[in-house]
Amino acid sequence: MGETRQSPNWVLSSLMLAATAAWLTLDAVSVAPNRIVPGTPYAALEVVGGWPALLMAVPMLAVVVLAWRPNRKGLTLSLGVVMALLALLPLWLAAATAVLVTPDMPQARVGIGSALWLLLFLLLLVLIELRTRLGMSRALGWLLLVPMLLGWWLALSLWLEPLALLREYHARSDQFASAVQQHLALVGAAVGASLVVASLLVLAMRRHTGVRRVGFGVLNFLQTIPSLALFGLLLAPLAWLGARVDWLAALGVSGIGWAPAFLALLGYSLLPMVRNIFVALEEVDPAVIESARGMGMARRQVFLQVRLPLALPVVLEGVRITTVQAIGLTAVAALIGAGGLGTFIFQGLGQAAMDMVLLGALPIIGLALVADALIGALSERLRPGGAA
Amino acid sequence: MSSAASSTTHGSAVQRWLAPIVWLSLLLLLTLGMGHLEWLFRLLEPDLRQVIYRRADFLTLLGQHVLVVGIASLLAVALGVSAAVAVTRKFGRDFLPLVSQLASIGQTFPPVAVLALAVPALGFGTLPIIVALLLYGLLPIVRNTLAGIDSIDPQVHEAARAMGMTPWQVLRQVELPLAAPFILAGIRTSVTINIATAALGTTVGASNLGDPIISGIVNGNTAYIVQGAVLIGLLALAVDSLFERLQRRG
Repeated sequence: MGETRQSPNWVLSSLMLAATAAWLTLDAVSVAPNRIVPGTPYAALEVVGGWPALLMAVPMLAVVVLAWRPNRKGLTLSLGVVMALLALLPLWLAAATAVLVTPDMPQARVGIGSALWLLLFLLLLVLIELRTRLGMSRALGWLLLVPMLLGWWLALSLWLEPLALLREYHARSDQFASAVQQHLALVGAAVGASLVVASLLVLAMRRHTGVRRVGFGVLNFLQTIPSLALFGLLLAPLAWLGARVDWLAALGVSGIGWAPAFLALLGYSLLPMVRNIFVALEEVDPAVIESARGMGMARRQVFLQVRLPLALPVVLEGVRITTVQAIGLTAVAALIGAGGLGTFIFQGLGQAAMDMVLLGALPIIGLALVADALIGALSERLRPGGAA
Repeated sequence: MSSAASSTTHGSAVQRWLAPIVWLSLLLLLTLGMGHLEWLFRLLEPDLRQVIYRRADFLTLLGQHVLVVGIASLLAVALGVSAAVAVTRKFGRDFLPLVSQLASIGQTFPPVAVLALAVPALGFGTLPIIVALLLYGLLPIVRNTLAGIDSIDPQVHEAARAMGMTPWQVLRQVELPLAAPFILAGIRTSVTINIATAALGTTVGASNLGDPIISGIVNGNTAYIVQGAVLIGLLALAVDSLFERLQRRG
């Protein structure tokens, strides 16, 4: 898509108009004197006389104008504007906080309103659109987020102490750290174990067609069972085992806790993993294997030096799918006492404490996106003829 | 079901529909007759006074579960297919790259997190679940519909136009039928995820088959947990086998 498009880019203009409208009309922040009282909402125009909000609306409209004749220069300029806006957003929030929270409100909690969330979401969509139109690579796309992340980091560490989300975090930062650890440990253990078990299964499947049929059948069946139900169904037999077998009880196996979570995660991880490993090994071009044999390589050598390196990117693709899936499922496992970030979600829902829900949900989404990007990039690099 | 009539032509209509029929009858039997299995659950929890979940009857819970998933899925199919069709027409083509990227990035979001985020935005109750299920359920449907339309040979498209078909006719009689297997696979993924996510509805203030499980976890009653888990599992299997059957036909 190298040609300069002369027809207007309706995507950019409609997204930006929607963003401007949301920004100028909806509630941007809310301030509550403490955790119990509901907050008073403020629109962006009601804060600091409204001129900073209007000032931010100007570049947004400029992008709408630039989208009318979307040539490369205009698009690059728009990209700069959007990145600047994304970085300015946390600073605006910091300024609003400084003005709205007076010293006589030491327990004040600032909530982020729908205008800010929507603006953030729409600006990120615009960023994706611009990245695509400018033909940037995925890795470069991630770099575009750096100014925004710097802005948030700066604002959060210096000025945003009254932010409800941050207060919620400070109130339980130890708990948060151990929740992240538990979450990652469960995901890592499940994905690692499924990689080993799936490899063994695939080796057996390649030998015997019977194993292949039954194996895929069972794994498909498992994948269909909803997570909450599978956790529940594992609970009864594991509680029984934990109560009767001493050495299992000593390991901490019981109906509640890591054991049912780990087993269920392993079960769910096996299907994507087995499928990808199987396809990866199966799809290596027979001519390549033939020529490796012809060069006098032994079976073992062919497997280790030819089949495996060629299969690796596809296997990693399986690891990616499995990891992202496991990060989400581990959140559900909090319900059966497995810990992790889901604890905050369900505790927060139980207490109707929405900031606590966010404290659980946002990091989970973050983890999933990062895992997806990192493993995706790795498998891209390892692909023959890839970026390596 | 006119299985008797069709069995003369197809031989084994019952056999082909066996899996959905078995799962569905098991689901209904257990939903209606759970009370008769009290002796069985007694074995599981001998010390508890009550071993059958009675806060609501299972049929109501099943109905609510199916209703929420059904509404969300129907809306997701209508919106998802129309969105995918719109961005593959001339007037909407500008939106195609963004929509297809959004559909794939969105699937990275864990469904639980989407459900959790719906509550601060919409409050407690059935509405946030339907919205969360709808939003999440859209992604596989949009993605698969796009893949389905993309897989059609441009020559087929041209031939249809050359025969004098209007764009609307091409869509109705050529594109959608050819993309149907893809769309159906997308709906299947979407519904499977939705049945599982809806079960978490109890935590956001809606009642369905997830209730006995959560209640059992809270009260330490394994019998409740098993009752809820078995019914949800059977529901998922029944619906999935139904889709499997439909896909084989298509």
